[in-house]
Amino acid sequence: MTPPSHLGSIGQLLIEAGRLSRQQVEAALQRQSGTVDTSLIGEILVQEGAISQWELLDFLFRQLTREREEYRNNPTFTPAIRFVDVEKVLDGRRVLKGVSLAIPKGKITAIIGVSGGGKSVTLKHMIGLMRPDRGEVWVGDRVLSGLSRKELVAVRSRFSMLFQGSALFDSLNVFDNVAFPLREMTRLPEADIRSRVEKALCQVNLDGMGDKFPDDLSGGMMKRTALARAMVTLPEIILLDEPTAGLDPIIENSIHHLICDTYMRSRYTMVVITHAVPEIFNWCHHAVVLHEGAILEAGPSLEVLHSKHPVIQQLINGALTGPIKVI
Amino acid sequence: MFSLVQRLGSAFLELLQFMGHMFLFLINILWCVVTPRYRPRNLLKQIHFIGVRSLFVIILTATFAGMVLALQGFYILSRFGSEGMVGPMVALAIIQELGPVLTALMVTGRAGSAMAGELGVMRIKEQVDALEVMGINPVNYLISPRLEASIISLPVLTAIFNVVGILGGYLVAVHLLGMSAGTYWGGIESKVGPRDIYISMIKSVSFGVLVAWVCTYMGYYANRGAEGVGRSITQAVVLSSVLVLVLDYFITALML
Ligand SMILES: Nc1ncnc2c1ncn2[C@@H]1O[C@H](COP(=O)(O)OP(=O)(O)O)[C@@H](O)[C@H]1O
Ligand SMILES: [Mg+2]
Repeated sequence: MTPPSHLGSIGQLLIEAGRLSRQQVEAALQRQSGTVDTSLIGEILVQEGAISQWELLDFLFRQLTREREEYRNNPTFTPAIRFVDVEKVLDGRRVLKGVSLAIPKGKITAIIGVSGGGKSVTLKHMIGLMRPDRGEVWVGDRVLSGLSRKELVAVRSRFSMLFQGSALFDSLNVFDNVAFPLREMTRLPEADIRSRVEKALCQVNLDGMGDKFPDDLSGGMMKRTALARAMVTLPEIILLDEPTAGLDPIIENSIHHLICDTYMRSRYTMVVITHAVPEIFNWCHHAVVLHEGAILEAGPSLEVLHSKHPVIQQLINGALTGPIKVI
Repeated sequence: MFSLVQRLGSAFLELLQFMGHMFLFLINILWCVVTPRYRPRNLLKQIHFIGVRSLFVIILTATFAGMVLALQGFYILSRFGSEGMVGPMVALAIIQELGPVLTALMVTGRAGSAMAGELGVMRIKEQVDALEVMGINPVNYLISPRLEASIISLPVLTAIFNVVGILGGYLVAVHLLGMSAGTYWGGIESKVGPRDIYISMIKSVSFGVLVAWVCTYMGYYANRGAEGVGRSITQAVVLSSVLVLVLDYFITALML
């Protein structure tokens, strides 16, 4: 028997795994005043002392690990995004040379590969920022290049994207940056916007930082602000372009936990471009290796990790000798 | 020989393509100006930036332009024995030519370069793409308010330039050169008509469109890298200044 949904997906997971009893979770919720936001149940349980922050994160990580193993044993999925033989020429160079791939719906997919291999360009195709010179990009059951501007806006409203350079607006503070998509694209009253932004900032551990400006933020805080901005619209699909690049290993780890935590709350389709190899293999169901504008291998992360392909092995080991010439 | 022709030909085609692209951009902005969504707060912010913050330079430029015109005018006109005409000469030169042109050049240097730089940085830091991804039309959000603010600000700044410039001329003519105040003002009153003001306003509105169009275009399509932004600022200032003078000639030729 599955626990009722008012306990939130995290409450349900904890009960199913036998970590907390249903009575414990409900007691913690009863002590809250007002209605409880189910996506914040993790935070409430931590505040109430039912479970420590660290234990919760570790629990979610182990849950993800279990799912990854299940996915390896049964690698079937519905595609959320599909590329069919996509080619793209930029500045006279063939950046994508016939890329075909599928992004599983409701799972975390990592795209890895050496710099300049066309990862960001691939991501921009998924959301219609770039159009393929040949081939097709499907989102659900629609081909992006065939859409009118209005239809494209409708498709994009199901997406969020974190850009490689965060792309925060310099003239707005953290709070207004996160509130921006809600203020511009919805008719929510300001009070609702305020509570949703505060919740999103709380989820990325930036509560109380709302009035800082992007110039005053550290790299990690910028990425977390951008992540909050990406999550606040409650999208179906989140695209993350190097969310951990240039950060120290501790913050990198915390962002990986954050991605896992976000995923467990709402089961988004997530696509993560990353150089955090091999760590990322612990954090994704599906992995895609993009090399020189072509897909080398795609499949369950546990399969790709043990691939015999020399390029992939070199990527994972970071070896100086091998098929990728660096020196 | 053949390759020279070929090179000239391809340069010409490139120029045509550039002009076509710029022209389409203008149509796109104008379309966004008349369609929702309207953002009065962005517009006010841009009016503050383009208009209010240019006031000081405009007043300074206008004062000295009026003063030097009166000085020069006095010595030139005195050779013909018609120094009594200094007032109308200063007034007409400022209202018809120097007011709109110098205002447009000053706004290009101060606000136009900043517009190109700001938009260029937004482009290379992927903020323009971020707007697009959120479903916001970046031309509507970023460019329209700048064009509108420029169209509103330039006539006002030009009017201020005209008044201050004529006052500057008064200072020199009356207090330095000893002309009577009555002659200065009387001449202006009898020789300057509504049509002169009309020309001044037509010019300033046209320059408002031109400056915002050229400067936002250069910033919006800045190339990647910090170098690209620097280049787009330079190109914005040079092209906008040159085109202001070219357009000034054609409007003058049409209106006189
Ligand atoms: N907007 C663009 N215009 C021209 N070339 C581009 C553009 N974006 C990317 N490129 C080129 O495409 C190649 C792949 O870039 P990218 O996808 O950013 O690589 P990465 O895998 O590191 O994210 C690079 O050689 C880059 O210079
Ligand atoms: Mg990249």
